[in-house]
Amino acid sequence: MKEITEEMWKEIDSVVQRYKGKPGALIPVLQECQNVCGYLPMEVQERISKGLNIPGSFIYGVVTFYSFFTMVPKGRHTVKVCLGTACYVRGGKANLDYLQDEFEVEVGGTTRDLRFSLDSVRCLGACGMAPAMVVDDNTYAQVSRKNIMEILDGYE
Amino acid sequence: MKTIDRNQLNELKSSGKHRIDIRLGKVPIEVNGEKHVMVCGGTACHACKSEPVRDTIKREVQARGLSQRCKVIETGNDAFGTLAPVMVVYPEGIYYVHLTPDDVTDIVSKHLIDGKPVERLFYRDPSNGKSIPRMMDIPYFSHQRLVTLRNLTLIDPENIDDAIARDAYQGAAKALIDMAAEEIINQIKISGLRGRGGAGFPTGMKWEFAAQAKGDSKYVLCNADEGDPGAFMDRSVLEADPHAVLEGMIIAAKAINARQGYIYCRAEYPLAIRRLNRAIEQARRYGLLGRDILGSGFDFDVEIYQGAGAFVCGEETALMTSIEGKRGMPRPRPPFPAQEGLWKKPTILNNVETLANVAQIILQGGAWYASIGTERSKGTKVFALSGKVNNSGLVEVPMGMPLKDIVYGIGGGIPGDKRFKAVQLGGPSGGCIPSELLDTITDYEAITGTGAIMGSGGMVVMDEDNCMVDIARFFMEFCQEESCGKCTPCREGTKRMLEILTKITEGRGEIADLTALEELAEMVKDSALCGLGQTAPNPVLSTLRYFRHEYEDHILEHRCEAGVCPDLVKTKCSNACPLGQEVPGYISLVAEERFEEAIRLIRQTNPMPGVLGRVCNHPCMDVCVRQQTDEAINIPKIKRFAADMAREKGITVPLERAREKEEKIAIIGGGPSGLGAAYYLSLMGYKPTIFEELPKLGGMLRYGIPAYRLPRDVLDEEINCIINTSVTVRTGVRVGREISIEELRRDFDAVFIGIGAHKSQIMGIPGEDIDGVYGGAEFLRQVELGNAPDIGKKVAVIGGGNVAIDVARTCRRMGADVTILYRREQKDMPASTEEIEDAIAEGIDIETLMMPESINKANGRTIITLHRCEPGEYDKGGRRMPVPIPGALVREEYNTIFAAIGQASDTSFTEDLDLKRGWIVVDRLTLATNLDNVYAGGDAVTGPAMAVDALAAGKRAALSIDRALSAKSGERPHKEEHDKIFLTMKVPGETVKQDMARAPKISPQERIKDSREVEIGFDTKTVKGECGRCLRCDVTIE
Repeated sequence: MKEITEEMWKEIDSVVQRYKGKPGALIPVLQECQNVCGYLPMEVQERISKGLNIPGSFIYGVVTFYSFFTMVPKGRHTVKVCLGTACYVRGGKANLDYLQDEFEVEVGGTTRDLRFSLDSVRCLGACGMAPAMVVDDNTYAQVSRKNIMEILDGYE
Repeated sequence: MKTIDRNQLNELKSSGKHRIDIRLGKVPIEVNGEKHVMVCGGTACHACKSEPVRDTIKREVQARGLSQRCKVIETGNDAFGTLAPVMVVYPEGIYYVHLTPDDVTDIVSKHLIDGKPVERLFYRDPSNGKSIPRMMDIPYFSHQRLVTLRNLTLIDPENIDDAIARDAYQGAAKALIDMAAEEIINQIKISGLRGRGGAGFPTGMKWEFAAQAKGDSKYVLCNADEGDPGAFMDRSVLEADPHAVLEGMIIAAKAINARQGYIYCRAEYPLAIRRLNRAIEQARRYGLLGRDILGSGFDFDVEIYQGAGAFVCGEETALMTSIEGKRGMPRPRPPFPAQEGLWKKPTILNNVETLANVAQIILQGGAWYASIGTERSKGTKVFALSGKVNNSGLVEVPMGMPLKDIVYGIGGGIPGDKRFKAVQLGGPSGGCIPSELLDTITDYEAITGTGAIMGSGGMVVMDEDNCMVDIARFFMEFCQEESCGKCTPCREGTKRMLEILTKITEGRGEIADLTALEELAEMVKDSALCGLGQTAPNPVLSTLRYFRHEYEDHILEHRCEAGVCPDLVKTKCSNACPLGQEVPGYISLVAEERFEEAIRLIRQTNPMPGVLGRVCNHPCMDVCVRQQTDEAINIPKIKRFAADMAREKGITVPLERAREKEEKIAIIGGGPSGLGAAYYLSLMGYKPTIFEELPKLGGMLRYGIPAYRLPRDVLDEEINCIINTSVTVRTGVRVGREISIEELRRDFDAVFIGIGAHKSQIMGIPGEDIDGVYGGAEFLRQVELGNAPDIGKKVAVIGGGNVAIDVARTCRRMGADVTILYRREQKDMPASTEEIEDAIAEGIDIETLMMPESINKANGRTIITLHRCEPGEYDKGGRRMPVPIPGALVREEYNTIFAAIGQASDTSFTEDLDLKRGWIVVDRLTLATNLDNVYAGGDAVTGPAMAVDALAAGKRAALSIDRALSAKSGERPHKEEHDKIFLTMKVPGETVKQDMARAPKISPQERIKDSREVEIGFDTKTVKGECGRCLRCDVTIE
C-alpha cells in the first residue's frame, strides 16, 4: 500500500480546516484529499472524521457509494475505457478486454507495478469519436487494437 | 474589471459589436481585413488533437506579425463526425476540416495573408465529392435551427466580453430590473418550455410552485450531471457558452426569489468545470453574480459542486442529497423539491439546456419561443447524435422534425452501406425506434407513444450488426450498477432482469424468461422510488416490443442474427450465412489443397455450391472481419473454385439417406426453395415430389438468372445431384391447372409451396399494356424457353434491381442498345454494385431520376414520356423520394420497353391461403401457413430475396415438416449430424495488407457477343493467396 506522507497529512488537515463548518462539505473534502493521497484508506477517513466531526461509518458509506472514491491506491496513470452506448456499439468492450489481457489486470484494479489503473467509464461525452479512452487527463478518439498500445507506450 | 451597472453592460455590448459582426459575416471581406480564426476546442476536439493545431496557429500568427489583424480564439465543440480538428475563419465563414499542425502554414499564408482560402481543406460532401466552403451551406448545419447553441463558433467561452457582445446578461437585466417575478414566470409559461433533462415537465409550472412556496431561503440548482451514456449536449453547452447557463439561473432566482444557486456538474467533465469556474469568476468581477447585480438590488451567487461518479445523482432528490454531503439516494415525493428540496428549502432543479434557453425567452418573449415547434412541444431540442451514423455530433432542430430527417438528412445515413436497425433515444431510460417508425416527429408525446422517451437528447443509431438483446442487456447492466440500492424493486428487480438478459445472450434462455422479464419490468416501473428504477425497464420493454424475434431466435434457435453474442456466434461469416456454411473451415481446406474434404465440408450444409459460388449475394462478406484491415475475403469465389475443382476432378460426395419413411410430401415449385426442401426431405428418408410448371427445374436460377451469370451445365449438374437423392419430379404441371391444391393436400402428408415471385409488377401508368411493352421477369423466362420476342435495336428497361440489370444485359447480347431508366439516384439502385458496374462496362446507359408517366405508340415506335425528378425528402428507408420537376417532361423512343420494377407472387391457385400484401403469411420459425400441413418459403413469402435465402427456407421447411410428421407418427425427429472433418487449427501469422483477389472477367466487347459465362474462376495460385488472407476466426487459443 502506498504510504501517506507527513506532507500529505498536513494537506489533509488544511483541507479539512478550510471546509470545516460548511454544510455538505464532506464530498468536496473527500475529493480534495483523494487528489492529495491518490486514495482514501481508512486512516485518512478517520482523520477526516475527527476533523469534520462526522461519524466514520457515515464517511465510509459515502466513500463506498461514489465510484470516484477508491480505498486502494491507483496506478501512476489511470486508463479509462469508455463503455457508453456509442463506444460500446463501436467496439469499446473489445478494447477493454484487450487491455485486461495485456496488463493482467481486472477492471477497477491496478497493475502490479502500479503503472496503470484500469477502469471502464460510462460515457465521456465524446460519442462522436467513439470508441474513446481517457488516460490521465487526455482523451483519445477512435481507439482500437491498432493504436491502443502505441498510445499507452507514451505513459511510463 | 469592476462591477458594472446596466448602462455599462450595454456599453460593453456595443463595444463588442464590431468583433461579433466580423463573425456574423456582416463586414465586407477584404484581403487585409480583420480575420477571426475560431478553433474548435471542446473535449472531443481535444481528443482529436485540436490543441496542437490551436497552438501552432497561435504561434504562426504571432511569428508572422499578424496578431493585430488576426485573432485566434478557441471555442467549444464546432465539429461533427470525424472532422475535428476544425477551424472557422471569419468574416468569410470558411470551415476547415481534418486539420493537422502542418496545414496551419497554408491557412496562414494563403488565406490570412493572401486572402485565398485553402480549397483542399474544405469540407467535402460525401455523396458527390463537391467541396462546400461555408459552414452554413453544409447540410449538417443548414438543417439545424440554433437557439440553445446560437453562439456556435461565435464566442470565446473564457471571455465574458464576447458573451456580453452576444446579448449575455441582457435578459438578466430585463428580468431583474424591468420585470416582476410573476411576469417572468408568465413568460416562461407562455413559451411552453419543458424540462430538457428528459422528463419534459413544464418549466414555468415548476418555477411557479417554488415561487409560491413559503420561505426566505430558496435554491436554484442546475443539473449538469449528464450521466446518460450517449449524451453530450450539456457538456457542449457548458464548454461553449457557460454564461447562458449562469444567466438562466439568475433569471430563475429572481422568479422564485432565491439567493443561492448550485451547479452540480459531473466530475467526468473537467473542461466544463474549468470553463464554468472561469465564467463564474468573470461574472463575479463584473458584479453579475453576487450582491446588487447591475444595481437592481437583487443578490444571487452560484457555486459549483462536483459529482463523484454516481449516475443516480442526476436524479433530482438524489442530486440534492449529494450536495448535502450524503450518499446520493433519492427521497420519496411528496414533499416535492419546490416545497422541500435542498436542505429542506424550496428548490428548483433545471437541466443545463433548459436554463440555456431562458435568457432568450425573456429577451424575445415567450410567444417567440412558442412559435417554434409543435403544439405541445415548443422550441428546439439539442440531440447528441452518435453511433452507426456518418455525421455524429450535436444537432439542434425545431421540435416536430421527423426522426428520419435527423438520421439521414443531418446524420448522413449509415456508414458502409449497412442497414439501419434502430435509433435509441433517451439512453438507459429510453427505448429503441425501428425503421417503420422513423417518420415519428421529435415531440414529447409522439415519441412516448412509440415506447421510447425524448430523454435528455442522446440519440444513438444502430445498424444490422447490433444485437438488440445485447443492447437491452447493456443498458440493464448500466442501470444495475448505478442503482443506489435504496428501494427493493430497483435493487432486486434490475439484478434479476440482468440475470435473465445475460442468460439469453449466453444461449441459456427459455421462452418463459420473456414473460418473467415483462412481468418484472412492469413491476419495477410501477414501484421503484425514483426515475432510475422507473425507467430502467424501458430498453427491455422497447426491444421486446419491436425486436421480439431477436429474443426468440436467441432462445429457440441459439441464434444471434447480428453476430454479436459470443456464446452463440462461432464466426461472423458462418453466422451471417443463411445456410450456416463452415466458411473458415473450407477456406483452410482449399488452402491446403484438400479439395475432396473441402467440397465435402461445403456440401454438408450447401447442396448447390457451384450455383451459389456464382450468384450468391454473400452476406458473409459484409461481416467479414478482414475488412477492418483491408478488404473482405472473396468467399463465394473460393467456394466456386472448390465446386469447379470437384467437378473437374470428378469428385462426388456420397450422400447418406436416412431410413426410408412412408410419408409423401408435395413440393410446389422447382426453384431453390423447392429444391432445398426436396433435398433435405429426401435425405431424411421422405418421398418428395416436385411439381414444376415450366419444362425444367430451377425456378429463378434458370428462368431468371441468365446463362452468362450461371452456366446451365453447372446448374443442371447440381439439380441432378438433388433429384438423384430419390426425388420424384413432374414438370409441365401447374397447380391450379393440371392439379389442384386440394388434391395435393388430400394425397400427400404435407405440402410445401415454393412458387417464387415471377409476375412482373404493374407500373400503374397508361399504356403499359400496349404491344412492345413487356414484363422483365417474363422476358427472361421466354429467352430461356427459346421464344423471346423480337426486341429491335433500341430497348429501355425500367427499374433498378437485379432483374432489370439481367434484362438489360440480355438485350445487349441480342444486339440492342439498352437504356436503364431509374427513378432515384444510382446509389439507391437495389441491384448489386458489381452487376451495375458490369452493365455499364457492357455499354448500357443508365438514366437516373427519371419517372415514367405514360407510354404510347406512334408510327410503329413506342414512345415513353418520363418526368425528370430531383431527390426530395427521405423515406423511412433512408432513400430520397423522387420529386417530379414541374414541366420537365421528356419523350424517348424505343422499339421495346421492359417493366422490371419488382415481382409479385401468383397465388391464384387458391383462395384459402392467408396473404399479407400479396405474400404468403407463415409462422416465422416453422414456415407453417394457416392451412394444416401446408408450408411455404422463399420469394413467395419474403418477396424477391437471395437464392441462398430460398435454399435455407427449403431446409427450414423440411426440418419443420419432419418435426410435425414425427410428432404424429411417434418417431424421433431427424437430428442433423455431420462427419467431423479434421481442420488445421492454426492462427495465421502477421497480417500484411493485401487487396482482395477478384475473379477475372471476359472483356465487355467479347462477352456481349453471346451467353458465355462472363466471370472466369480463380486459378489455384490465386485462390490459395486469397485463402491465406483469412484470419481464421474459428481458431481459439487455449
